[in-house]
Amino acid sequence: MPFFKTIRWVVWKDLISEWRTRETMSSMLFFALIVILVFSFSFSMDQDAARQLIAGIIWVAFTFTGIIGLGKSFTSELQNDCLESLQMCPAPKGAIYLGKVAANFLFMLSVEILLFPLFVLFFNLDVIEAVGTLLIIFFLATLGLSSVGTLFSALTVQIRAREVMLPVLLLPLAVPVMIAAVEATRGALSGDPFSFYSQWIQLLIIFDIIFTVVSFWLFEFILDS
Amino acid sequence: MINRIIRQIQRYKGWFGGGAALCIFLGLYIGLLASPPDYYQGELVRIMYVHVPLAHTSTLAYSVLFFGSIWYLWKRDPLVDNMCQASASICALFTSLALITGSIWAKPTWNTWWTWDPRLVSFTVLLLILGGYIMLRRLVDDPVQGGRYAAILAIVGGIDLPIIKFSVEWWRTLHQPMSFSTRGVSISEDILVPLTLMSIGCWLLFAYMVMVRTQILYLTDLLHAKKGRFLSQTHFSQTTP
Repeated sequence: MPFFKTIRWVVWKDLISEWRTRETMSSMLFFALIVILVFSFSFSMDQDAARQLIAGIIWVAFTFTGIIGLGKSFTSELQNDCLESLQMCPAPKGAIYLGKVAANFLFMLSVEILLFPLFVLFFNLDVIEAVGTLLIIFFLATLGLSSVGTLFSALTVQIRAREVMLPVLLLPLAVPVMIAAVEATRGALSGDPFSFYSQWIQLLIIFDIIFTVVSFWLFEFILDS
Repeated sequence: MINRIIRQIQRYKGWFGGGAALCIFLGLYIGLLASPPDYYQGELVRIMYVHVPLAHTSTLAYSVLFFGSIWYLWKRDPLVDNMCQASASICALFTSLALITGSIWAKPTWNTWWTWDPRLVSFTVLLLILGGYIMLRRLVDDPVQGGRYAAILAIVGGIDLPIIKFSVEWWRTLHQPMSFSTRGVSISEDILVPLTLMSIGCWLLFAYMVMVRTQILYLTDLLHAKKGRFLSQTHFSQTTP
């Protein structure tokens, strides 16, 4: 099968199975809501405290939610030996990887876009002029998380204790994404000029490029058996 | 039946162990007893002769793990996989020792056991990655698959570590200046001699430990293979009869 057609089919397959079950997105959304609630209980926040902490809260919620989605991405392939079918499929493995990244990216980004208004509502944020920049930051950081995360989702799905091992392996590697996303979001929300935090966006772009390429190459060694 | 390289290791590892013992003994003697106290830090400087070589050695150990993992994915040599596994656990040992000695040094100089200094943070992340590596190897049933997965983790980690260090450094320097820096201070000979000796000693010690551990892991695998436990194994095609 040609390369780009494979990518399209993998994305299409994931979207259809998500549309029919609505498992991943709904569990991600509910989990994220609970995280937001836990945070608002843990810190009694006035306007000033909220402005200080909100960037971190947003990204902790998004990352943990993303890990749920990433974990589901390959555990759902375990039923009916779908994973073995993917392994035996005469399609380029890299294309399967890119299709999975695209699907995970779409799930995570849509959950983030649904959640963000709730953050604005619950924490009284003032975001009108920062929305464009925030969308760019969400886009880049989610791409970084899903490119590494998809690789480790495929890696942990075939081992014992997979639910624990995905965050244990993924979170230390995602440290640069977390730092850059939090700093850039804080800059955007506090209304700093773009040049103050543009280096964090550059870091996100560099991370995305490096790890999409590296994971694309390494994915072949995971599915090959 | 035993691999040629394993036999070479058996022959030469004693030199590495002896050299390590000699260098560390001399380095400790000069560093702890014979050298004068530092102008700024007084007697406190002496922990540096242990701390800095440990930290250097752990980065060296991770480089061995990183390049070994690339080599393993490329050539699928089981001995290289054993070497990677050996250097990962020894790297974890050196990293934790570096963090502990650093913490002991930080208490009198920075007046705190722990601070979010860039180097401390990146070493902690390194330790977390190594912990993940060691856990990952235990959680995969098929050892060949485990070696491949662990190699993938080591490669991603090796590419990520410079980015982590860079981003953490950037993050901290934007918030607060580093409280202590050796940059721009020229190092005198009194410090340089014991420091070099200890560094060479730690590198030799690392090499010796990796050799012994690789040998153990390889021979254990060989024993299992002989008992017929590795059914899915292409493992020992390269052993010389």
